[in-house]
Amino acid sequence: MAEKIIAYRFNQLDQTLIQLNKENCAIIAGGTDVMVMYKSRRGVPPKIPKPIVFIDHLSELKQVYQNQKDLHIGACCTYSELLKNPLIPSPLKKAIRTIAAPAIRNRGTLGGNVCNASPAGDTLPLLYVYNAKLLLRSVHGDRIVAISDFIQGVRRIQREPNEILAEIILPSVVEEGAHVVFEKVGNRNADAIAKVGFAGYIRLNGAVIEDIRFTFGAVGPTMVRSIDIEKKLIGKNIPLTDSDKALVVAAFDKIIKPIDDQRSTAIYRKTVALNLLRHFLSMTQVQQK
Amino acid sequence: MITFTLNGRKVETDAPATARLLDVIRDEYELIGTKEGCGEGECGACSVFVNNLLQNSCLIPIGSIEGADIITIEGIMESKQFKILDESYSHAGGVQCGYCIPGMVMASAALLSQNPNPSEAEIREGISGNLCRCTGYNMIVDAVSLAAKKGDGLWQKK
Repeated sequence: MAEKIIAYRFNQLDQTLIQLNKENCAIIAGGTDVMVMYKSRRGVPPKIPKPIVFIDHLSELKQVYQNQKDLHIGACCTYSELLKNPLIPSPLKKAIRTIAAPAIRNRGTLGGNVCNASPAGDTLPLLYVYNAKLLLRSVHGDRIVAISDFIQGVRRIQREPNEILAEIILPSVVEEGAHVVFEKVGNRNADAIAKVGFAGYIRLNGAVIEDIRFTFGAVGPTMVRSIDIEKKLIGKNIPLTDSDKALVVAAFDKIIKPIDDQRSTAIYRKTVALNLLRHFLSMTQVQQK
Repeated sequence: MITFTLNGRKVETDAPATARLLDVIRDEYELIGTKEGCGEGECGACSVFVNNLLQNSCLIPIGSIEGADIITIEGIMESKQFKILDESYSHAGGVQCGYCIPGMVMASAALLSQNPNPSEAEIREGISGNLCRCTGYNMIVDAVSLAAKKGDGLWQKK
């Protein structure tokens, strides 16, 4: 006989937060990562070592709205819901289309992608270049943390047991005339975990770089981003000189330290990551959006 | 106790909350058209509709579907849309061993109900979460394309 499994599914977020404040629970949104992580044999329910709280049905976590220039995305919006939403920026939609396949996109959530904190999380490079902030909610109120502080390592996040990730906030994304690109390299288009992910962000004033950001995924325990390297390019003119480009590539060459695994090799990952960077830096014309 | 609708019938199960929807529909309700392939959401053999959306039943804990409307391959077999898919798959030679076919048909039906006249690229995208190790996919793509033509108008409303 199967052991008893304790699970909660409250109708409201408030009740859910009260329960989380009383008891350390495993939170399940879409479940597409959790159910694989704890997968057992056929016919045997996955054994999750904590009581479970289901949150994917909570309407409070499914809102998408604009607040001044910021875009707020409810953590439990599924990928398919975001693809249909006109407020979601097109680079984020491009990243979402590379995730798994339609059936998983109907179930998996953006908040889940963040909280799973996989080194290869598909939306993460992009969320980093958007300087995404995360709104965490508990019975004690809200707290906002930068995604780069929240994700601390492989599947390690800075969430207190009584908190829920309620919203992903993309600051100033609505009106900013930035050009954002996203690239994912995998074995095939569908159902592939990234070998390398890359996101680039550039905002120009005429030919002058006002802001530039890069993030690499799947080449280290967490996303690789360097504000120091980015700063060196601010104020420079587009197209960049060959020596500026070489400087940036050399700087990332030092800090990108991928590993060999079943999906790819360290050398392949590094080569591709730096090539994607070179390609981005070589843009002579940027379409402002 | 978890209550949901299964192929139009209200049902109740006392399966543990983390039991996979796949196991519940196969073992408890003996609806064995839904198959298990990889058990990890990569192959699509276990595809069902949850509130009219294609999902992998191997990734769904039963506790999360309270009140949901679940439709399996058995639940669409009497529909006109199914008849057309059935004929089209046969005509195009889209079925060999058949193991992937219930999931493939669910994905095809999901695609056509959203997009009644898909391009080849859209068909390939629509079935991109379903693996077939026999056909090489071309005959399946032909089958879906044929079903779109034959079912002219039928896929609009669902």
